[in-house]
Amino acid sequence: MIGFIARRLLATVPVMVVIGLFVFLLLHLAPGDPAAIIAGDNATPASILAIRHQLGLDQSILVQFLRWSWRVLQGDLGISIFSQTPVATLIGQRLGPTVSLTLTTAVFSVSIALCVGVLAGWRSGGVLDRMVMAFAALGFSVPVFVVGYGLIYLFAIDLRWLPVQGYVSLQRGLWPWFQHLILPSLALGLAYIALIARITRTAMLDVLSEDYIRTATAKGVAATPMLLHHALRNAAVPIVTVIGLGVALLIGGVVITETVFNIPGVGRLVVDAINQRDYPIVQGIILVFSGVYVLINLAVDISYLILDPRIRG
Amino acid sequence: MEISRRNLVQSAIAAGTLAAGAPAIARAQSAPPANRTIRAVMQGDLRSFDPIWTTANITAYHGALIYDMLFSIDADFKPQPQMVDTWTVSDDKLTYTFVLRDGLAWHDGTKVTASDCVASIKRWAARDGGGQALLARTKSMTAKDDKTFVIALSAPFGLVIDVLAKPSTPVCFMMPLKDAETDPNQQITGRTGSGPFIFNVAETKPGNRYVYDRNPHYVPRKEPASGMAGGKIAKVDRVIFENLADDQTALAALQTGEIDFFEVIPIDFLPQVKDDPDITVEILNKTGNVGFLGMNNLHAPFDKLKARQAMLYLVNQTDFLKASFGDPKYYRTCGSYFGCGTDMENDANTAWFKAAPDKAMAKKLFMESGYDGRPVVILQPTNFAFMNNAATILGQELTDIGVKVDLAASDWGGVITRRAVQAPDDQGGWDIFTTFSSGYSVANPVGYIGDATNGKSAWFGWPTDALNEKLRDEWATAPTLADRKAVARKIQENAWNVVPHAFLGQWVAPVAHRSNVKGWLAVPEVIPFWNVSKA
Repeated sequence: MIGFIARRLLATVPVMVVIGLFVFLLLHLAPGDPAAIIAGDNATPASILAIRHQLGLDQSILVQFLRWSWRVLQGDLGISIFSQTPVATLIGQRLGPTVSLTLTTAVFSVSIALCVGVLAGWRSGGVLDRMVMAFAALGFSVPVFVVGYGLIYLFAIDLRWLPVQGYVSLQRGLWPWFQHLILPSLALGLAYIALIARITRTAMLDVLSEDYIRTATAKGVAATPMLLHHALRNAAVPIVTVIGLGVALLIGGVVITETVFNIPGVGRLVVDAINQRDYPIVQGIILVFSGVYVLINLAVDISYLILDPRIRG
Repeated sequence: MEISRRNLVQSAIAAGTLAAGAPAIARAQSAPPANRTIRAVMQGDLRSFDPIWTTANITAYHGALIYDMLFSIDADFKPQPQMVDTWTVSDDKLTYTFVLRDGLAWHDGTKVTASDCVASIKRWAARDGGGQALLARTKSMTAKDDKTFVIALSAPFGLVIDVLAKPSTPVCFMMPLKDAETDPNQQITGRTGSGPFIFNVAETKPGNRYVYDRNPHYVPRKEPASGMAGGKIAKVDRVIFENLADDQTALAALQTGEIDFFEVIPIDFLPQVKDDPDITVEILNKTGNVGFLGMNNLHAPFDKLKARQAMLYLVNQTDFLKASFGDPKYYRTCGSYFGCGTDMENDANTAWFKAAPDKAMAKKLFMESGYDGRPVVILQPTNFAFMNNAATILGQELTDIGVKVDLAASDWGGVITRRAVQAPDDQGGWDIFTTFSSGYSVANPVGYIGDATNGKSAWFGWPTDALNEKLRDEWATAPTLADRKAVARKIQENAWNVVPHAFLGQWVAPVAHRSNVKGWLAVPEVIPFWNVSKA
């Protein structure tokens, strides 16, 4: 197991190098000059040139890339062009809200999706199954921001049960923290629930037609242990894979959700940085996100070993 | 006493919740109550804290909260002393002596000195058009003692007080010496001013919220608040700029009372709040904004006078304004080179305005300019509604008179990068860009960077016209307002002949706020938060 993990971790190094190179080139070759943005609407050609020189943007891309890579290797993600704050500090300040939103969404989405997916698979063709399928189609089709606005209108403006926007840190209390995450998590989780519920249903359908399930049923095993212990456990590998892949979906979704619900997370940070061409921030965040994604994939691979002993062999 | 497992778990949860909530309780005790706090959603994120380094209005708002000014304009746009107690000018109009008023102190408690002010003026002047005009005529600027400083000019400059008082960016805010001595091309690191509010670093979360607390030691002037002038009395304990990027969410937050002020409420949202007694919509910036049509004077077709003149006849200002602002209550067409409703507004040489739109005339002039049929590149920033719409309409209007058009769509970041390219279209250049400027600033031909016509050193479009430069200089040295108005007529007469740029109409942008928040001051370009109270 340790050898497997070590091999996988080593394999992430070239992946991260390629991502770093790709991100750097993509940003620097895209139109847009941070110096012109900094100089503002009243800029003169001379002031833009002066700022470009000050930021080192008048040097060749190769020199800029080598400097950036050397700093990253030393654990330094650079300094924001605009705020002059270290990128690591900025990401650190924004991680809390994003992690809170992602975890809350993941926990409640997986809980709901597994339940309805298992039940839909068990009662295939029934009313519940049709409802789950219809919900899944809806969940995939409706954009996050539309769901968000709908939820805000109903629960915040009309019923006045929940706040429209904002984020309150856990330090300020459990309920205020959770209260501000309910609507964003619901909006963000809809597509995630739909995805996992569908995959769970399909995986359960496959497993429930197996001989050992028929045998267990014939022996009089009750429905709940049969579904959870025998069926769900054996259907877990594709479900866990989708849960892992779905985290990437969530990371993409938080960008929009954080904007709609005014959550000061990493998603907002990256959008603002792209608009300003604040290269160090964008590069830093994409590297961090990529690292997280690689680690999630690693965790999913390790879970295969735990869930399915045949893979260990 | 027997402790059950359930009790233990309940106690642990209660203790954990209390522990997590403890800092909140401590903070809640120190935070001002809701009726002493203004939560405002402004036009954008506060990305720079240096109001000299950037021209972003949001940074000027930040500056107006924490810094003070030597002079400020009142509600009638007339400059009035603010940090200055008395000032004199010599008979030959070459020596200005200023004495600071008593009670001025930085937020750290140290006194504001004349040396701080001299350094602040120099740093600001290096970045501002009006300031540069002042510096060009300044022989020396020195502190005589802690409260007195002198500006000695080499030639009379009638705008000394006006440029120091102007609210358009960059605003001449006074800073402590250590910040004021920073290279004007680098950002300051300090956040210390002498204004009516103090920047609260601990409560500020960059990118999310910016917090300002009332300065309990600020000594306001005795005069009532008027525009940016008069007594700056902070009537609330805290002002918070919430960086809320989504307009729909900001509106919902205003409706539920989560925020008190929404600076840039889109016009199409106004019907939703029209009948809401808890929300008031008003116009604070009476001179509003003017749509600007920049043409690249360096290359064909707009290096030809007739092509530029054709644009005056082609542009239908009503179309541009209606597309972006809908309700005529908020816009007006305007033929003045200095915006309408300003001191310098006049009707010299505006026959084209009375005739426009005249597509036949526009086509005739454009073809007479020697147009060779190659596409005109219009920069189109798709993430700014007005400019996005303007580029589309302009493209259609040019197409209507037989001109080929290439709409170069990108975000604003892409537009302002390409806009700086002086090369021809086929080497990454451009022909037309649109933007907007404040009505107040376009009325100042010296301070407004778009009015320079000194070729490649001028603003984007790089027009060249020696007469305009001479007249701008004449305007700067005109001793009285009446004299300046007379020169302004001459500038306009000439400008609408040579057409360095054109305008797309003028509009005002309403703000929306909770009806229980009162006392907003009408100022162009800056939103003051002193004098504002909350019931």
